Amino acid sequence: MEVPVYGQDRAERILRERVQSRWAAAYAPVRHLDPVLVLSALVLSGLGMVAIYSAKLQALTVQGLPATTFVSRQSIALLVGLVALGIAAAFDYRHLRGYGAVLYLGAVALLVVTLTPLGTEINGSQRWLILGGFQLQPSELAKLAVLVAVAALLHERKGEPGLPTVGIALALVGVPTALVFLQPDLGTSIVFIWLTAVLFLVGGVKARYLVGLAAAGVAGFAAALRLELIQSYQLQRLTGFLDAGDPSLAQGPVFQTRQSLIAIGSGQFFGKGLFEGTQTSLSYVPENHTDFIFTVVGEEFGFVGAAVVLALFLVIIWRGLRIAVLSKDLFGTLLAAGVVGIFTLQVFLNVGMTVGIMPVTGIPLPFVSYGGTSLIVWFAMVGLLLNIHMRRF
Amino acid sequence: MSSHLALNEPSSALRLTFLSVVVIAMFLALLSRLWFLQVLAGDRYAELAETNRVRIVVTEAPRGNIVTADGEELVRNRPALTVSAERQRLLDDAGEPRDEDAERVLDRLSILLELEVDEIVERLSTRRYSPFRPVPIAFDVAPEIVFSVNENRELFPGVVAETLPVRTYPQGEMAAHLVGYLGEISEDELGSEEFADHRAGDLVGRGGLEQVYESELRGRHGETRYEVNAQNTVLDVISERDPVQGHDLVTSLDADLQQATEELLAQGIETSRSFTHQASGRNLPSTGGSAIVLDPRDGAIKAMASYPSYDPQEFVGGVSSDYWEEITDRDNDTPLFNRPISAEHPPGSVFKVVSGAAILQAGANPSTTVSCAPTYEVGGNTFRNWNTQHEGPMTLTDALRRSCDTYFYELFYRQWQREQQAGGAEAEILPAVAESFGHGTTLGIDLPSERGGVVPGREWRQEYWEAHRDTYCRLAEEQEEGSYAQRVNADLCVSGGQWRGGDAVNTSIGQGDVLATPLQVAAAYMGVANGGTVYSPRIGRAVVDHDGEVVREIEPEVHSQVDLDDTELRAIHEGLRQVVHHQRGTAYGAFQGFPLDEIPVAGKTGTAELQPLVPFAWFAAYAPADDPEVVVVVNVEQGGGGSQTAAPIARTILEHYFETTDEDDIEFEVGPEYND
Repeated sequence: MEVPVYGQDRAERILRERVQSRWAAAYAPVRHLDPVLVLSALVLSGLGMVAIYSAKLQALTVQGLPATTFVSRQSIALLVGLVALGIAAAFDYRHLRGYGAVLYLGAVALLVVTLTPLGTEINGSQRWLILGGFQLQPSELAKLAVLVAVAALLHERKGEPGLPTVGIALALVGVPTALVFLQPDLGTSIVFIWLTAVLFLVGGVKARYLVGLAAAGVAGFAAALRLELIQSYQLQRLTGFLDAGDPSLAQGPVFQTRQSLIAIGSGQFFGKGLFEGTQTSLSYVPENHTDFIFTVVGEEFGFVGAAVVLALFLVIIWRGLRIAVLSKDLFGTLLAAGVVGIFTLQVFLNVGMTVGIMPVTGIPLPFVSYGGTSLIVWFAMVGLLLNIHMRRF
Repeated sequence: MSSHLALNEPSSALRLTFLSVVVIAMFLALLSRLWFLQVLAGDRYAELAETNRVRIVVTEAPRGNIVTADGEELVRNRPALTVSAERQRLLDDAGEPRDEDAERVLDRLSILLELEVDEIVERLSTRRYSPFRPVPIAFDVAPEIVFSVNENRELFPGVVAETLPVRTYPQGEMAAHLVGYLGEISEDELGSEEFADHRAGDLVGRGGLEQVYESELRGRHGETRYEVNAQNTVLDVISERDPVQGHDLVTSLDADLQQATEELLAQGIETSRSFTHQASGRNLPSTGGSAIVLDPRDGAIKAMASYPSYDPQEFVGGVSSDYWEEITDRDNDTPLFNRPISAEHPPGSVFKVVSGAAILQAGANPSTTVSCAPTYEVGGNTFRNWNTQHEGPMTLTDALRRSCDTYFYELFYRQWQREQQAGGAEAEILPAVAESFGHGTTLGIDLPSERGGVVPGREWRQEYWEAHRDTYCRLAEEQEEGSYAQRVNADLCVSGGQWRGGDAVNTSIGQGDVLATPLQVAAAYMGVANGGTVYSPRIGRAVVDHDGEVVREIEPEVHSQVDLDDTELRAIHEGLRQVVHHQRGTAYGAFQGFPLDEIPVAGKTGTAELQPLVPFAWFAAYAPADDPEVVVVVNVEQGGGGSQTAAPIARTILEHYFETTDEDDIEFEVGPEYND
């Protein structure tokens, strides 16, 4: 029996540890960021700021205000957004399962407060809380809270949710949806319902349940119409875009859609050029720095510019879906799929609204529209995707 | 380590694929919609964007003036104090006052302008004016009203007092029929090529020279294109085009002669009404008339009068329906009707220069004599001369002097027989020759509504009958059996297409179905006077710009050429001279006391029968007879004999033209009735 040579074992251990640490370093979360995803988000935000500047340039000049007013505010929001991205990516997303309940209850509480006199009403809709000079839109936060809560629930059921789980999930979504609907904010309500559908689909809810829920949803909508739960002006907003071609309604509720169509259509293939859009600079499209920001892109950069922006959105969706596939657990898959789902729907509702194939709802265009809360939340969402991506091993 | 999802839960991967498909479908929907909007429909939206941002404000161009040859203005523009209001600030889209403030403003305006609120709203609502400029509510307001509006701006938001150009007629009613008036452009006209430069609400020439020379008189409106934002705030001037003043039209009219012609025609017609028409025992109705003075050397109209007349000033700012009724009413003898060019009457004996020329061209010799009997028999019917005395054998010259009907009856009956025998192989002589004198065709005068008259013949009769046969036959059935009218209609039903000898005979003395306007008669005598050239009569002489530079000379145009040799012309000239100079001439009496040795006058009387009316009086003349510089034609509807009313009026016009009598002493004196 040979006596082991002293030190041989140690040498092996050192060798083994060296290999281990090389592997560990290779799998360190920080080495698995997704630069394509982050870069796309940053490019979109940059384009957004150019568009915001162009949209407000003339109006601000006429009022004697600095032309950079909105852009500098947006830049601050972008910085805050990057911090939010960092925070959302830093901790292990799996801890969120533990905080899901707190997050959810907090969001619901804020939504309730928003509906009390503490909330702020703008344009007939009570959506905001003013905190120390900052406008906070709790419904943006609620999207994240609902996503985490439902994803956590479905994760617990290991991808085979039965009817009781579906019931609990619906209840979880139902409360904030109703609160948002009361503000009223039809657009965000639709986002909640869509989010639920995406999570149920990816979370393994049986196909027959999905079909049943869809049927129930249609029936419920019909009932809401009959019981006049949806107010006539909301209905008019929902159908008004169909009349946008009728110039006799130029001053009516479809004015916005009509002007939006003119702006985008008149951009033609190559666009009128930066700062050359007349619909944009002469303020013919109301809210063209926020919800209707896409009209600036369409008018000044034409079909080419609009297609590039849509392509950037698709890149983000592609990275998001890839992350959903790569995730090491169902919770991560559901979180990623949920983020992608909300993102896709918002892009579709917003761009669809500006090109007249979707109703006018107050949904901002992710990364591009002027608005701090939305920008910060979307960078946080990107952080969350990174988080899942980094910890996929 | 690859996705454990893919390994352990294949259904999740499938579900994510399904989600991807939904996402791609959504993006394809957006992209195809963008392709439609920006590429397929892009042009249309680009246009809409342009309309959005550009506001066009129009400045009216002052319309050109119309002046006489001697520089008197017949119509020009005059600044009128006007109160206007912005429609958008006072009325909503439905044409109702938009709010209580607007109602109060309308009430104040109503009191200030002494107009009903409804009336103001109606005027504001007219589509005549662009929505981007104030709409005139009241023209020619008192200066005090302008002061009240301007000094109390806060009481009259959206109301402006401004000065606008309107048409004015410095000569009053003079040449009203020639100048014409303005009216709003119609929808149909707006669509037509001719009015391509016009906009809704524009005033365009209606009637007269205003209509014919519209394109040159109107000028071009100025246009400023502003860039405006969504709040309608003007940000920039994109382009600016100054209005171009319309050109002036210089006419050949002589202001003084035009004035005199109108007055002398009116005076003659009104005086004649106190004389009796012997055949009916009534006073002469003299319901209306025409007088034309033209230069036979180029067809230039020197004066043209239509009686009764109207006041063109009534058309400024839109004619009232009452006045329109009044001047188009038959009971008032339709004053708006421009008789010299639009009234078609039987020409009677003034037509004899045309039929005389026709018979010469058919081969007759001027010196051939025909007996001037009191009657002439054709096919069992008796055709009478105006004189019941037998006047013996006559040449063409004699027949013109005495206006002998039977001379023409006989020659045209023979001609009819010849043409009948040729059976259509030979062209009819009279319609062709008449056309060379400007009859049966429009002459192309630069006035609208010119009529072409009728010169009947074999072909014309056949066509006319074919068009009206059904009516004759129906009347023949409906009317009382055996009555005169029934027999005539029954005959016409069967054989109304025949051109009979009696028709030819009647036509030869300007009766029957012959119709001519006073202008056509003037054209025929122009052809006789200048040796054979019929010019298209012209009132416009030149178009000049605001500085008096000639833009376009309006050259005389030849309408037709009369084919007569010198001997034939001389025979006609001599006959017409004798009408006035010879003791037995039909107009000798009317020209008693006229200095014929200084100014020899040639002319022809006409007394056209139009049963059951009192005859229409005609006189056509040219002077000086040996070197004519003026043709005068006078027609008085139901004025009795040509020598009775028309020749005396023509005489007064000639007296004025040649200044043979002191202006104040020129006076109409009725002539002898029984000389045709």
